[in-house]
Amino acid sequence: MPDAAIQLENVHVDYPVAGQAVRSVLGGISLRIESGEFVAIVGETGCGKSTLLRLILGEEKPTRGRLLVNGRERWQPDRYCGYVPQKYSLFPDKTVLDNVTFGPETIAFGAWSALRWVHPGQMRRFRQEAFSYLRHTGLDESDARKYPYQLSGGMQQRVAIAQALIMKPPILLMDEAFSALDPATRAGMQRLIKKLWRESGTTVVFVTHNTREAVCLGTRVIALSKNRDGNRGSSIALDLAVPNLEFDSDECDIANLVREVEAATVRERPLVYN
Amino acid sequence: MSLLRIHAHPSRTAVWTLSWALFAVGLVLYFSVAQQRHRENPDERVMPTFTQMVRGFSDAALKPAGEEEAQADNGSSLVARFRGSMLWTDTLASGRRFLISLALLFPAVLLGLHMAMFPLIGAFFLRFILFFDKIVALSLLPILFIAFGIDELSKIMLIVIGVAPTIILDTFNLSKSVPGEQIVKGFTLGASDFSIAYRIVFKQIWPRVLNSIRLNLKAVMLFLFAGEMIASTDGLAYRIALLRRHMGMDTIIPYVLWVALLLFLVDFAMNKFNHKLHPWFQER
Repeated sequence: MPDAAIQLENVHVDYPVAGQAVRSVLGGISLRIESGEFVAIVGETGCGKSTLLRLILGEEKPTRGRLLVNGRERWQPDRYCGYVPQKYSLFPDKTVLDNVTFGPETIAFGAWSALRWVHPGQMRRFRQEAFSYLRHTGLDESDARKYPYQLSGGMQQRVAIAQALIMKPPILLMDEAFSALDPATRAGMQRLIKKLWRESGTTVVFVTHNTREAVCLGTRVIALSKNRDGNRGSSIALDLAVPNLEFDSDECDIANLVREVEAATVRERPLVYN
Repeated sequence: MSLLRIHAHPSRTAVWTLSWALFAVGLVLYFSVAQQRHRENPDERVMPTFTQMVRGFSDAALKPAGEEEAQADNGSSLVARFRGSMLWTDTLASGRRFLISLALLFPAVLLGLHMAMFPLIGAFFLRFILFFDKIVALSLLPILFIAFGIDELSKIMLIVIGVAPTIILDTFNLSKSVPGEQIVKGFTLGASDFSIAYRIVFKQIWPRVLNSIRLNLKAVMLFLFAGEMIASTDGLAYRIALLRRHMGMDTIIPYVLWVALLLFLVDFAMNKFNHKLHPWFQER
């Protein structure tokens, strides 16, 4: 069997807490995410969604179990996984264009950013590529000279997506990336990310606490649910087989599915959907 | 009371008047008391009058500093006379020490950045610098004079030892306050550890570090003055200490104001430079 894009084998994460032995956050999670999937991870606040994402990024290590990305264990974040967080997604000291060209430039020149003045041809190519990604995410060239503080929340996240995608990462991790946006902007961004996913074929892991967003975006929904039987409140993952809905699907279908996913999360039982 | 409302919107005239009011009150108070003391005692030297101070300052700014300059003084222009004056010579001497000390603070900024970014460097230096920061720099002055002699090096070292730990710790804290998301993002964009330190963290904290240095300008000047007052043959503080022996208040007060003005201008220039260079920082 070929290596999965992401594979978790009985992953536990415990944190030491003063006055207690340990606080268990993830209690034995096993998952296999195939290349090209759009996986939405949903769950209530504090159930370990972001911890799971940090594990995949390589920013944290499991206390027990094994996590493989493309068949290999990870020791620190690298360009194999793109990352779009909810906040602080852009470098505030750089313009939109410089934010997007940061990745290619860093690969080409390392810490010696001054070298970019010595290679104008290469910089021109990076800029053209950045403009094409910006256009792709719905921004125009007049926005390129702006600083992040001059952009709305939605525009900032568009830039963050362009910044991540220009690196062509095999995996894109999005941590509540649209949570801080107003409903209209959020809907636009959801459509955008789904379109970009279809075009690029990147594996997307999308963490959200919004069940509706999860069922409409994901080809697969993983619900993290607090284990109420024991293990001191750690979360387990429920791999829910949900039908693939779109944003323009029937509103009743969406509402029913949201209700069933939420109920399954509470019941801690996989959802069987005909 | 309506004056103390949080949502008060004072007019431009009111702001202008209020901001200059204390200067005006100070000047009026000083000169009225000085005038009164001079009426009671014509030989009064503690509080010189305005005329005495103008005369004292113009002597310092236009009369030559030494005998050699006095001979070359005849018939020279105002600018040439100013450049040969006691005030200009002292300002140059203190300014040189001040600028060398500021330049030597840059390695302190880099050390603070590396301590925050690389845990092993942090573990090696942090405890020591936290302790070192608590040593009263002025108490080291005798040791510095013994170790480095009484010339330039000891005065510059006093400034560096006095201010560097604060700058190191401030840079350390500023670097630590950069959100973790930015560092993770950097790695996912292919940046190395040094690229993240210099191209992401350093660039974000640099305007704040400049502000921190601005806030420490007074401390730099304080240590400079301490060194010059104790062991020097030139410099603004040396002159003030020398004039104190002759009760030369008519020159001391203008000198103090001159130092304050210079420091204000350096602070103003650094602030403008910071605005110009980092528009993103000021507008956030």
